[in-house]
Amino acid sequence: MNRQNSSGNNKALIEFQTVSKSYKKTLALDKISFTINKGDVFGYIGPNGAGKTTTIKILVGLIRDYTGDVYIAGKNISKSFQEIYKILGYHPQEAGFQRWRTINHALNTFGRLSGLESNHLESKIREVLEFVNLQDVRYKKIIHLSGGMIQKLRLAQALLNDPQILVLDEPLSGLDPSSRYQIKNLIKNLSQKGITILFSSHILTDIQDIANKIGILNKSRIIKIGSPDELQNEFNIGNIIEIVYIKGGNSCPNLEDIDGIERIEIGASNKQFAHLKGDADIDDTIHRILRIITEQKCKMRNFRILTPSLEEVYLKYIEGDAK
Amino acid sequence: MSLKILFLDELKGFYKSKVMIILWVGMPLLSLLFHYIFPETEGIPISSIVALLFSSIGGMLASAMLSTSIASEKVRHVYDLFLIRPVRRANILLAKFFAVYLCLIIATGISLVIGLIIDQLTIGNLPEYVIDQTIESLSISLAGIAIACSLGIFFGTIVTSVPVAAILSVYLGNQLSAISILPPLFIDFIDPILFSLLIGSIIPTIIITISIMIFARKQF
Repeated sequence: MNRQNSSGNNKALIEFQTVSKSYKKTLALDKISFTINKGDVFGYIGPNGAGKTTTIKILVGLIRDYTGDVYIAGKNISKSFQEIYKILGYHPQEAGFQRWRTINHALNTFGRLSGLESNHLESKIREVLEFVNLQDVRYKKIIHLSGGMIQKLRLAQALLNDPQILVLDEPLSGLDPSSRYQIKNLIKNLSQKGITILFSSHILTDIQDIANKIGILNKSRIIKIGSPDELQNEFNIGNIIEIVYIKGGNSCPNLEDIDGIERIEIGASNKQFAHLKGDADIDDTIHRILRIITEQKCKMRNFRILTPSLEEVYLKYIEGDAK
Repeated sequence: MSLKILFLDELKGFYKSKVMIILWVGMPLLSLLFHYIFPETEGIPISSIVALLFSSIGGMLASAMLSTSIASEKVRHVYDLFLIRPVRRANILLAKFFAVYLCLIIATGISLVIGLIIDQLTIGNLPEYVIDQTIESLSISLAGIAIACSLGIFFGTIVTSVPVAAILSVYLGNQLSAISILPPLFIDFIDPILFSLLIGSIIPTIIITISIMIFARKQF
Protein backbone atom coordinates (compact mmCIF):
# COMPACT_ATOMS: atom_id res chain seq x y z
CA MET A 1 0.00 0.00 0.00
CA ASN A 2 1.32 3.46 -0.87
CA ARG A 3 1.93 5.90 1.91
CA GLN A 4 2.82 9.53 2.24
CA ASN A 5 6.28 10.04 3.65
CA SER A 6 6.92 11.50 7.07
CA SER A 7 7.97 14.86 5.66
CA GLY A 8 4.63 15.06 3.86
CA ASN A 9 6.50 15.26 0.58
CA ASN A 10 4.85 13.31 -2.21
CA LYS A 11 7.95 13.62 -4.38
CA ALA A 12 10.09 11.54 -2.01
CA LEU A 13 11.15 8.40 -3.82
CA ILE A 14 13.42 6.95 -1.15
CA GLU A 15 12.91 7.32 2.55
CA PHE A 16 14.96 5.90 5.42
CA GLN A 17 13.30 6.10 8.83
CA THR A 18 15.47 5.53 11.91
CA VAL A 19 17.28 2.61 10.30
CA SER A 20 19.84 0.80 12.43
CA LYS A 21 21.99 -2.20 11.68
CA SER A 22 24.53 -4.06 13.77
CA TYR A 23 27.04 -6.74 12.84
CA LYS A 24 27.26 -8.77 16.04
CA LYS A 25 28.41 -6.12 18.54
CA THR A 26 29.47 -3.53 15.97
CA LEU A 27 26.95 -0.82 15.19
CA ALA A 28 27.11 -0.14 11.46
CA LEU A 29 24.15 2.25 11.21
CA ASP A 30 22.67 4.21 14.07
CA LYS A 31 19.08 5.37 13.48
CA ILE A 32 19.72 7.05 10.16
CA SER A 33 16.89 8.96 8.48
CA PHE A 34 16.86 10.78 5.17
CA THR A 35 14.74 11.23 2.08
CA ILE A 36 15.67 11.44 -1.57
CA ASN A 37 13.23 13.12 -3.91
CA LYS A 38 12.43 12.12 -7.46
CA GLY A 39 15.14 13.39 -9.80
CA ASP A 40 17.64 14.05 -7.01
CA VAL A 41 21.27 13.11 -7.30
CA PHE A 42 22.11 12.28 -3.72
CA GLY A 43 25.79 12.19 -2.90
CA TYR A 44 26.34 9.92 0.05
CA ILE A 45 29.77 10.53 1.50
CA GLY A 46 31.71 9.44 4.49
CA PRO A 47 35.02 7.89 5.37
CA ASN A 48 35.69 4.21 4.73
CA GLY A 49 33.78 2.03 7.17
CA ALA A 50 31.24 4.75 8.00
CA GLY A 51 28.31 2.58 6.91
CA LYS A 52 27.67 3.71 3.33
CA THR A 53 27.69 0.23 1.79
CA THR A 54 25.50 -1.11 4.60
CA THR A 55 22.93 1.63 3.87
CA ILE A 56 23.02 0.80 0.19
CA LYS A 57 22.75 -2.95 0.73
CA ILE A 58 19.68 -2.39 2.87
CA LEU A 59 18.18 -0.22 0.14
CA VAL A 60 18.71 -2.83 -2.58
CA GLY A 61 17.53 -5.73 -0.42
CA LEU A 62 20.82 -7.52 0.11
CA ILE A 63 20.64 -6.90 3.86
CA ARG A 64 17.26 -7.68 5.36
CA ASP A 65 18.16 -7.93 9.00
CA TYR A 66 17.84 -4.31 10.20
CA THR A 67 15.55 -2.19 12.34
CA GLY A 68 13.57 0.83 11.16
CA ASP A 69 11.76 1.31 7.87
CA VAL A 70 12.85 1.92 4.32
CA TYR A 71 10.36 3.08 1.71
CA ILE A 72 10.78 3.26 -2.03
CA ALA A 73 8.03 5.03 -3.93
CA GLY A 74 5.95 4.89 -0.76
CA LYS A 75 6.28 1.13 -0.38
CA ASN A 76 8.05 -0.55 2.49
CA ILE A 77 10.86 -2.54 0.89
CA SER A 78 10.63 -5.37 3.40
CA LYS A 79 7.11 -6.12 2.14
CA SER A 80 7.16 -5.22 -1.54
CA PHE A 81 10.55 -6.06 -2.93
CA GLN A 82 9.16 -7.98 -5.87
CA GLU A 83 7.71 -4.70 -7.20
CA ILE A 84 10.64 -2.55 -6.18
CA TYR A 85 13.17 -4.67 -8.10
CA LYS A 86 11.59 -3.42 -11.29
CA ILE A 87 12.44 0.24 -10.69
CA LEU A 88 15.85 -0.24 -9.10
CA GLY A 89 19.29 -0.47 -10.70
CA TYR A 90 22.31 -1.25 -8.54
CA HIS A 91 25.98 -0.77 -9.25
CA PRO A 92 27.77 -2.66 -6.47
CA GLN A 93 31.15 -1.65 -5.16
CA GLU A 94 32.80 -5.00 -5.49
CA ALA A 95 30.48 -7.53 -7.08
CA GLY A 96 32.30 -9.98 -9.27
CA PHE A 97 31.16 -11.63 -12.45
CA GLN A 98 31.62 -15.28 -13.28
CA ARG A 99 34.79 -15.16 -15.32
CA TRP A 100 33.83 -17.64 -17.99
CA ARG A 101 31.08 -15.30 -19.18
CA THR A 102 31.38 -12.81 -21.98
CA ILE A 103 29.93 -9.32 -21.48
CA ASN A 104 27.06 -10.29 -23.77
CA HIS A 105 26.31 -13.46 -21.86
CA ALA A 106 26.39 -11.72 -18.48
CA LEU A 107 23.98 -9.02 -19.63
CA ASN A 108 21.77 -11.61 -21.27
CA THR A 109 21.45 -13.58 -18.05
CA PHE A 110 20.84 -10.50 -15.88
CA GLY A 111 18.32 -9.19 -18.39
CA ARG A 112 16.35 -12.43 -18.39
CA LEU A 113 16.48 -12.62 -14.61
CA SER A 114 15.14 -9.07 -14.50
CA GLY A 115 12.18 -10.29 -16.54
CA LEU A 116 13.03 -8.68 -19.90
CA GLU A 117 11.46 -10.35 -22.92
CA SER A 118 14.00 -11.87 -25.30
CA ASN A 119 12.91 -9.70 -28.27
CA HIS A 120 13.43 -6.54 -26.21
CA LEU A 121 16.55 -7.81 -24.47
CA GLU A 122 18.79 -7.79 -27.54
CA SER A 123 18.11 -4.14 -28.34
CA LYS A 124 18.41 -3.21 -24.67
CA ILE A 125 21.84 -4.86 -24.39
CA ARG A 126 22.98 -2.99 -27.49
CA GLU A 127 21.66 0.26 -26.06
CA VAL A 128 23.36 -0.04 -22.65
CA LEU A 129 26.64 -1.19 -24.20
CA GLU A 130 26.64 1.83 -26.49
CA PHE A 131 25.87 4.06 -23.54
CA VAL A 132 28.85 2.80 -21.55
CA ASN A 133 30.97 2.47 -24.69
CA LEU A 134 31.59 -1.27 -24.43
CA GLN A 135 29.97 -2.27 -27.72
CA ASP A 136 33.33 -3.17 -29.28
CA VAL A 137 34.13 -5.71 -26.58
CA ARG A 138 30.66 -7.22 -26.34
CA TYR A 139 31.87 -10.76 -26.91
CA LYS A 140 35.03 -10.48 -24.85
CA LYS A 141 35.38 -12.73 -21.81
CA ILE A 142 35.06 -10.92 -18.49
CA ILE A 143 38.37 -12.35 -17.32
CA HIS A 144 40.10 -10.25 -19.99
CA LEU A 145 38.49 -6.91 -19.06
CA SER A 146 40.30 -4.01 -17.39
CA GLY A 147 39.13 -2.48 -14.09
CA GLY A 148 37.52 0.43 -15.92
CA MET A 149 35.64 -1.93 -18.25
CA ILE A 150 34.38 -3.96 -15.28
CA GLN A 151 33.03 -0.77 -13.67
CA LYS A 152 31.30 0.11 -16.92
CA LEU A 153 29.84 -3.39 -17.10
CA ARG A 154 28.54 -3.01 -13.55
CA LEU A 155 26.87 0.20 -14.65
CA ALA A 156 25.53 -1.42 -17.83
CA GLN A 157 23.85 -4.28 -15.93
CA ALA A 158 22.26 -1.73 -13.59
CA LEU A 159 20.65 0.05 -16.55
CA LEU A 160 19.14 -3.02 -18.22
CA ASN A 161 15.68 -2.63 -16.70
CA ASP A 162 15.40 1.16 -17.30
CA PRO A 163 15.53 1.92 -13.59
CA GLN A 164 13.89 4.97 -12.06
CA ILE A 165 16.37 4.74 -9.20
CA LEU A 166 20.05 4.07 -9.66
CA VAL A 167 22.12 3.13 -6.64
CA LEU A 168 25.85 3.49 -7.23
CA ASP A 169 28.21 2.24 -4.56
CA GLU A 170 31.65 3.82 -5.01
CA PRO A 171 31.51 3.66 -8.81
CA LEU A 172 34.75 5.62 -9.18
CA SER A 173 36.90 3.75 -6.69
CA GLY A 174 40.07 2.17 -8.00
CA LEU A 175 39.85 3.77 -11.42
CA ASP A 176 42.51 5.65 -13.34
CA PRO A 177 41.83 9.35 -14.09
CA SER A 178 40.60 8.68 -17.61
CA SER A 179 38.10 5.99 -16.50
CA ARG A 180 36.96 8.22 -13.61
CA TYR A 181 36.25 11.02 -16.05
CA GLN A 182 34.30 8.69 -18.36
CA ILE A 183 32.19 7.12 -15.59
CA LYS A 184 31.51 10.54 -14.07
CA ASN A 185 30.25 11.79 -17.42
CA LEU A 186 28.02 8.74 -17.78
CA ILE A 187 26.51 9.45 -14.37
CA LYS A 188 25.94 13.09 -15.33
CA ASN A 189 24.16 11.93 -18.49
CA LEU A 190 21.95 9.62 -16.46
CA SER A 191 21.03 12.39 -14.03
CA GLN A 192 20.09 14.60 -16.98
CA LYS A 193 17.67 11.88 -18.07
CA GLY A 194 15.83 12.38 -14.78
CA ILE A 195 16.93 9.19 -13.07
CA THR A 196 17.08 9.49 -9.29
CA ILE A 197 20.61 8.61 -8.23
CA LEU A 198 22.14 7.66 -4.92
CA PHE A 199 25.88 7.85 -5.34
CA SER A 200 28.29 6.92 -2.57
CA SER A 201 31.92 7.87 -2.31
CA HIS A 202 34.52 8.60 0.31
CA ILE A 203 35.91 11.37 -1.88
CA LEU A 204 33.85 14.55 -1.95
CA THR A 205 35.26 15.85 -5.21
CA ASP A 206 33.80 12.76 -6.87
CA ILE A 207 30.28 13.93 -6.18
CA GLN A 208 30.34 17.67 -5.60
CA ASP A 209 29.80 18.61 -9.23
CA ILE A 210 27.14 15.93 -9.78
CA ALA A 211 25.04 15.89 -6.62
CA ASN A 212 22.30 18.37 -5.82
CA LYS A 213 21.99 16.96 -2.31
CA ILE A 214 24.71 15.62 -0.08
CA GLY A 215 24.47 13.41 2.98
CA ILE A 216 27.52 13.11 5.21
CA LEU A 217 27.80 9.86 7.12
CA ASN A 218 30.31 9.45 9.89
CA LYS A 219 30.65 6.78 12.55
CA SER A 220 27.35 5.13 11.60
CA ARG A 221 25.32 8.35 11.81
CA ILE A 222 24.24 10.93 9.28
CA ILE A 223 25.74 14.14 10.55
CA LYS A 224 24.57 16.50 7.83
CA ILE A 225 22.27 16.61 4.84
CA GLY A 226 21.87 19.54 2.48
CA SER A 227 22.63 20.96 -0.90
CA PRO A 228 26.30 21.67 -1.66
CA ASP A 229 25.62 25.41 -1.22
CA GLU A 230 23.81 24.92 2.07
CA LEU A 231 26.65 22.86 3.46
CA GLN A 232 29.18 25.41 2.32
CA ASN A 233 27.27 28.41 3.66
CA GLU A 234 26.31 26.86 6.93
CA PHE A 235 29.83 26.08 7.84
CA ASN A 236 31.46 29.31 8.75
CA ILE A 237 34.93 28.88 7.35
CA GLY A 238 36.55 32.24 6.70
CA ASN A 239 37.32 33.30 3.16
CA ILE A 240 40.87 33.67 1.98
CA ILE A 241 42.10 36.57 -0.12
CA GLU A 242 44.97 35.85 -2.44
CA ILE A 243 47.21 38.79 -3.38
CA VAL A 244 49.82 38.27 -6.10
CA TYR A 245 52.64 40.83 -6.31
CA ILE A 246 54.81 41.60 -9.31
CA LYS A 247 58.02 39.62 -9.75
CA GLY A 248 60.56 40.82 -7.23
CA GLY A 249 57.91 42.88 -5.42
CA ASN A 250 57.62 42.63 -1.66
CA SER A 251 54.60 41.48 0.29
CA CYS A 252 52.65 44.32 1.75
CA PRO A 253 53.32 44.76 5.49
CA ASN A 254 50.82 45.52 8.24
CA LEU A 255 47.89 43.67 6.68
CA GLU A 256 47.58 41.55 9.80
CA ASP A 257 46.61 44.67 11.72
CA ILE A 258 43.39 44.96 9.75
CA ASP A 259 40.30 44.17 11.75
CA GLY A 260 38.73 41.04 10.25
CA ILE A 261 41.97 39.35 9.25
CA GLU A 262 42.89 36.33 11.31
CA ARG A 263 46.38 35.76 9.93
CA ILE A 264 48.61 36.42 6.95
CA GLU A 265 50.35 33.61 5.09
CA ILE A 266 53.21 34.16 2.67
CA GLY A 267 53.02 31.78 -0.28
CA ALA A 268 55.32 30.88 -3.13
CA SER A 269 55.51 32.86 -6.40
CA ASN A 270 55.07 36.28 -4.72
CA LYS A 271 51.73 35.35 -3.21
CA GLN A 272 50.29 36.49 0.05
CA PHE A 273 47.17 34.98 1.61
CA ALA A 274 44.99 36.92 4.01
CA HIS A 275 42.87 34.47 6.05
CA LEU A 276 39.71 36.27 7.11
CA LYS A 277 37.95 35.61 10.38
CA GLY A 278 34.74 33.59 10.04
CA ASP A 279 32.56 36.56 11.02
CA ALA A 280 34.50 39.18 9.10
CA ASP A 281 32.62 41.54 6.78
CA ILE A 282 34.27 40.56 3.53
CA ASP A 283 33.51 43.79 1.64
CA ASP A 284 34.77 45.97 4.46
CA THR A 285 37.91 43.86 4.88
CA ILE A 286 38.69 43.94 1.16
CA HIS A 287 38.26 47.72 1.18
CA ARG A 288 40.76 48.07 4.05
CA ILE A 289 43.27 45.70 2.39
CA LEU A 290 43.16 47.65 -0.86
CA ARG A 291 43.57 50.92 0.98
CA ILE A 292 46.74 49.72 2.72
CA ILE A 293 48.12 48.31 -0.53
CA THR A 294 47.53 51.66 -2.22
CA GLU A 295 48.89 53.71 0.68
CA GLN A 296 52.05 51.65 0.92
CA LYS A 297 52.42 51.54 -2.89
CA CYS A 298 52.75 47.73 -2.93
CA LYS A 299 53.08 46.55 -6.55
CA MET A 300 50.18 44.13 -6.93
CA ARG A 301 49.47 42.07 -10.06
CA ASN A 302 46.37 40.11 -9.00
CA PHE A 303 43.81 40.03 -6.21
CA ARG A 304 41.07 37.43 -5.72
CA ILE A 305 38.80 35.84 -3.13
CA LEU A 306 39.18 32.10 -2.51
CA THR A 307 35.99 30.64 -1.07
CA PRO A 308 36.42 27.52 1.07
CA SER A 309 36.03 24.31 -0.91
CA LEU A 310 33.38 21.75 -0.08
CA GLU A 311 36.23 19.40 0.70
CA GLU A 312 37.24 21.64 3.60
CA VAL A 313 33.65 21.76 4.81
CA TYR A 314 33.44 17.98 4.62
CA LEU A 315 36.66 17.52 6.51
CA LYS A 316 35.50 19.94 9.19
CA TYR A 317 32.31 17.92 9.63
CA ILE A 318 34.15 14.64 9.77
CA GLU A 319 36.63 16.00 12.27
CA GLY A 320 33.70 17.00 14.45
CA ASP A 321 34.33 20.70 14.06
CA ALA A 322 30.84 21.45 12.80
CA LYS A 323 28.95 24.16 14.56
CA MET B 1 11.31 -19.15 -14.18
CA SER B 2 14.52 -18.04 -12.52
CA LEU B 3 15.38 -21.68 -11.68
CA LYS B 4 15.29 -22.64 -15.36
CA ILE B 5 17.42 -19.63 -16.36
CA LEU B 6 19.92 -20.30 -13.59
CA PHE B 7 20.06 -24.05 -14.30
CA LEU B 8 20.71 -23.56 -18.02
CA ASP B 9 23.22 -20.89 -17.14
CA GLU B 10 25.11 -23.22 -14.83
CA LEU B 11 25.23 -25.87 -17.55
CA LYS B 12 26.54 -23.29 -19.98
CA GLY B 13 29.12 -22.33 -17.38
CA PHE B 14 30.31 -25.92 -17.08
CA TYR B 15 30.50 -26.14 -20.86
CA LYS B 16 32.37 -22.83 -21.25
CA SER B 17 34.76 -23.51 -18.41
CA LYS B 18 35.54 -26.99 -19.84
CA VAL B 19 34.28 -28.78 -16.71
CA MET B 20 31.74 -30.65 -18.78
CA ILE B 21 34.33 -31.84 -21.30
CA ILE B 22 36.66 -33.00 -18.54
CA LEU B 23 33.82 -34.95 -16.90
CA TRP B 24 32.34 -36.44 -20.03
CA VAL B 25 35.64 -37.37 -21.66
CA GLY B 26 37.94 -37.62 -18.67
CA MET B 27 35.84 -39.90 -16.51
CA PRO B 28 35.17 -42.56 -19.18
CA LEU B 29 38.86 -42.44 -20.13
CA LEU B 30 39.84 -42.86 -16.51
CA SER B 31 37.59 -45.90 -16.24
CA LEU B 32 39.18 -47.45 -19.30
CA LEU B 33 42.70 -46.70 -18.11
CA PHE B 34 41.89 -48.12 -14.69
CA HIS B 35 40.70 -51.31 -16.29
CA TYR B 36 43.73 -51.79 -18.52
CA ILE B 37 46.51 -50.51 -16.23
CA PHE B 38 45.73 -52.46 -13.06
CA PRO B 39 46.05 -56.21 -13.66
CA GLU B 40 44.00 -57.12 -10.58
CA THR B 41 40.91 -55.75 -12.28
CA GLU B 42 41.31 -58.16 -15.15
CA GLY B 43 38.32 -60.35 -15.45
CA ILE B 44 36.02 -57.90 -13.70
CA PRO B 45 33.56 -56.41 -16.17
CA ILE B 46 34.51 -52.85 -17.02
CA SER B 47 30.91 -51.75 -16.46
CA SER B 48 31.26 -52.74 -12.80
CA ILE B 49 34.54 -50.89 -12.51
CA VAL B 50 32.93 -47.76 -13.94
CA ALA B 51 30.15 -47.92 -11.38
CA LEU B 52 32.65 -48.40 -8.55
CA LEU B 53 34.89 -45.65 -9.80
CA PHE B 54 32.05 -43.20 -10.03
CA SER B 55 30.81 -43.95 -6.57
CA SER B 56 34.25 -43.04 -5.18
CA ILE B 57 35.64 -40.31 -7.47
CA GLY B 58 32.33 -38.91 -8.72
CA GLY B 59 31.08 -38.06 -5.24
CA MET B 60 34.29 -36.31 -4.30
CA LEU B 61 34.33 -34.39 -7.56
CA ALA B 62 30.73 -33.29 -7.19
CA SER B 63 31.17 -32.18 -3.62
CA ALA B 64 34.39 -30.27 -4.33
CA MET B 65 33.01 -28.63 -7.48
CA LEU B 66 29.95 -27.34 -5.70
CA SER B 67 31.50 -26.27 -2.42
CA THR B 68 34.43 -24.39 -3.99
CA SER B 69 32.22 -22.78 -6.61
CA ILE B 70 29.70 -21.49 -4.05
CA ALA B 71 32.36 -20.38 -1.55
CA SER B 72 34.38 -18.50 -4.17
CA GLU B 73 31.30 -16.87 -5.68
CA LYS B 74 30.22 -15.73 -2.23
CA VAL B 75 33.66 -14.25 -1.55
CA ARG B 76 33.69 -12.44 -4.90
CA HIS B 77 30.13 -11.13 -4.32
CA VAL B 78 28.91 -12.78 -7.52
CA TYR B 79 25.48 -13.38 -5.99
CA ASP B 80 24.89 -9.68 -5.27
CA LEU B 81 23.96 -9.12 -8.90
CA PHE B 82 21.54 -12.06 -8.88
CA LEU B 83 19.89 -11.21 -5.59
CA ILE B 84 19.00 -7.65 -6.57
CA ARG B 85 16.72 -9.17 -9.16
CA PRO B 86 13.55 -11.21 -8.64
CA VAL B 87 15.51 -14.39 -7.99
CA ARG B 88 14.70 -16.73 -5.12
CA ARG B 89 17.83 -17.47 -3.14
CA ALA B 90 16.90 -21.16 -3.03
CA ASN B 91 16.97 -21.30 -6.83
CA ILE B 92 20.65 -20.35 -6.94
CA LEU B 93 21.56 -23.42 -4.89
CA LEU B 94 19.06 -25.74 -6.58
CA ALA B 95 20.30 -24.74 -10.04
CA LYS B 96 23.87 -25.57 -9.03
CA PHE B 97 22.84 -28.90 -7.50
CA PHE B 98 20.83 -30.05 -10.49
CA ALA B 99 23.45 -28.88 -13.01
CA VAL B 100 26.32 -30.73 -11.33
CA TYR B 101 24.19 -33.80 -10.69
CA LEU B 102 23.01 -33.90 -14.28
CA CYS B 103 26.57 -33.53 -15.58
CA LEU B 104 27.72 -36.43 -13.43
CA ILE B 105 24.75 -38.62 -14.39
CA ILE B 106 25.57 -38.05 -18.04
CA ALA B 107 29.27 -38.72 -17.39
CA THR B 108 28.32 -41.93 -15.58
CA GLY B 109 25.98 -42.90 -18.42
CA ILE B 110 28.64 -42.32 -21.08
CA SER B 111 31.20 -44.31 -19.11
CA LEU B 112 28.78 -47.17 -18.50
CA VAL B 113 27.73 -47.42 -22.12
CA ILE B 114 31.37 -47.50 -23.19
CA GLY B 115 32.07 -50.08 -20.47
CA LEU B 116 29.18 -52.28 -21.55
CA ILE B 117 30.26 -52.10 -25.20
CA ILE B 118 33.82 -53.13 -24.28
CA ASP B 119 32.49 -55.89 -22.01
CA GLN B 120 30.30 -57.13 -24.84
CA LEU B 121 33.29 -57.17 -27.18
CA THR B 122 35.71 -58.82 -24.74
CA ILE B 123 33.50 -61.12 -22.66
CA GLY B 124 30.71 -61.70 -25.13
CA ASN B 125 27.15 -61.94 -23.84
CA LEU B 126 27.18 -60.60 -20.32
CA PRO B 127 25.91 -62.94 -17.61
CA GLU B 128 22.76 -61.76 -15.89
CA TYR B 129 24.52 -61.35 -12.55
CA VAL B 130 26.95 -58.85 -14.12
CA ILE B 131 24.09 -56.73 -15.39
CA ASP B 132 22.33 -56.94 -12.00
CA GLN B 133 25.55 -56.01 -10.24
CA THR B 134 26.10 -53.08 -12.59
CA ILE B 135 22.57 -51.74 -12.03
CA GLU B 136 23.03 -52.13 -8.31
CA SER B 137 26.40 -50.34 -8.36
CA LEU B 138 24.96 -47.64 -10.57
CA SER B 139 22.05 -46.91 -8.25
CA ILE B 140 24.45 -46.79 -5.28
CA SER B 141 26.76 -44.46 -7.24
CA LEU B 142 23.98 -42.08 -8.16
CA ALA B 143 22.71 -42.00 -4.58
CA GLY B 144 26.25 -41.37 -3.35
CA ILE B 145 26.74 -38.58 -5.88
CA ALA B 146 23.42 -36.98 -4.87
CA ILE B 147 24.49 -37.03 -1.21
CA ALA B 148 27.92 -35.68 -2.11
CA CYS B 149 26.36 -32.91 -4.22
CA SER B 150 24.11 -31.86 -1.35
CA LEU B 151 27.07 -31.87 1.03
CA GLY B 152 29.00 -29.73 -1.45
CA ILE B 153 26.11 -27.24 -1.41
CA PHE B 154 26.11 -27.32 2.38
CA PHE B 155 29.87 -26.79 2.79
CA GLY B 156 29.86 -24.04 0.17
CA THR B 157 27.04 -22.30 2.01
CA ILE B 158 28.54 -22.39 5.48
CA VAL B 159 32.18 -21.54 4.75
CA THR B 160 33.70 -18.50 3.09
CA SER B 161 37.14 -19.92 2.42
CA VAL B 162 37.64 -21.80 -0.83
CA PRO B 163 40.46 -24.03 0.50
CA VAL B 164 38.38 -24.94 3.57
CA ALA B 165 35.44 -25.78 1.30
CA ALA B 166 37.70 -28.01 -0.80
CA ILE B 167 39.18 -29.77 2.24
CA LEU B 168 35.77 -30.40 3.79
CA SER B 169 34.50 -31.79 0.51
CA VAL B 170 37.42 -34.12 -0.03
CA TYR B 171 37.46 -35.44 3.53
CA LEU B 172 33.82 -35.37 4.49
CA GLY B 173 31.83 -35.14 1.27
CA ASN B 174 33.22 -38.32 -0.13
CA GLN B 175 33.19 -40.23 3.17
CA LEU B 176 29.62 -39.29 4.06
CA SER B 177 28.37 -40.23 0.62
CA ALA B 178 29.38 -43.81 1.50
CA ILE B 179 26.17 -43.93 3.56
CA SER B 180 24.55 -45.19 0.38
CA ILE B 181 26.92 -48.18 0.22
CA LEU B 182 27.60 -49.39 3.73
CA PRO B 183 24.27 -50.54 5.27
CA PRO B 184 23.40 -53.08 2.51
CA LEU B 185 26.90 -54.57 2.86
CA PHE B 186 26.35 -55.42 6.50
CA ILE B 187 22.61 -55.96 6.72
CA ASP B 188 21.42 -58.79 4.48
CA PHE B 189 17.73 -58.01 4.27
CA ILE B 190 18.25 -54.48 2.94
CA ASP B 191 17.69 -54.28 -0.79
CA PRO B 192 20.66 -52.19 -2.03
CA ILE B 193 18.77 -50.63 -4.95
CA LEU B 194 15.73 -49.65 -2.92
CA PHE B 195 17.90 -48.46 -0.06
CA SER B 196 20.07 -46.30 -2.30
CA LEU B 197 17.02 -44.83 -4.02
CA LEU B 198 15.51 -43.92 -0.65
CA ILE B 199 18.66 -42.67 0.98
CA GLY B 200 19.70 -40.89 -2.23
CA SER B 201 16.45 -38.92 -2.15
CA ILE B 202 15.91 -38.30 1.56
CA ILE B 203 19.38 -37.25 2.70
CA PRO B 204 20.05 -34.75 -0.14
CA THR B 205 16.57 -33.26 0.37
CA ILE B 206 17.26 -32.69 4.07
CA ILE B 207 20.77 -31.31 3.53
CA ILE B 208 19.70 -29.01 0.70
CA THR B 209 16.73 -27.73 2.73
CA ILE B 210 19.06 -26.86 5.62
CA SER B 211 21.51 -25.21 3.19
CA ILE B 212 18.71 -23.15 1.63
CA MET B 213 17.59 -21.98 5.07
CA ILE B 214 21.15 -20.93 5.94
CA PHE B 215 21.65 -19.26 2.54
CA ALA B 216 18.37 -17.35 2.87
CA ARG B 217 19.55 -15.80 6.13
CA LYS B 218 22.98 -14.84 4.81
CA GLN B 219 23.87 -11.15 4.61
CA PHE B 220 25.45 -10.29 1.27
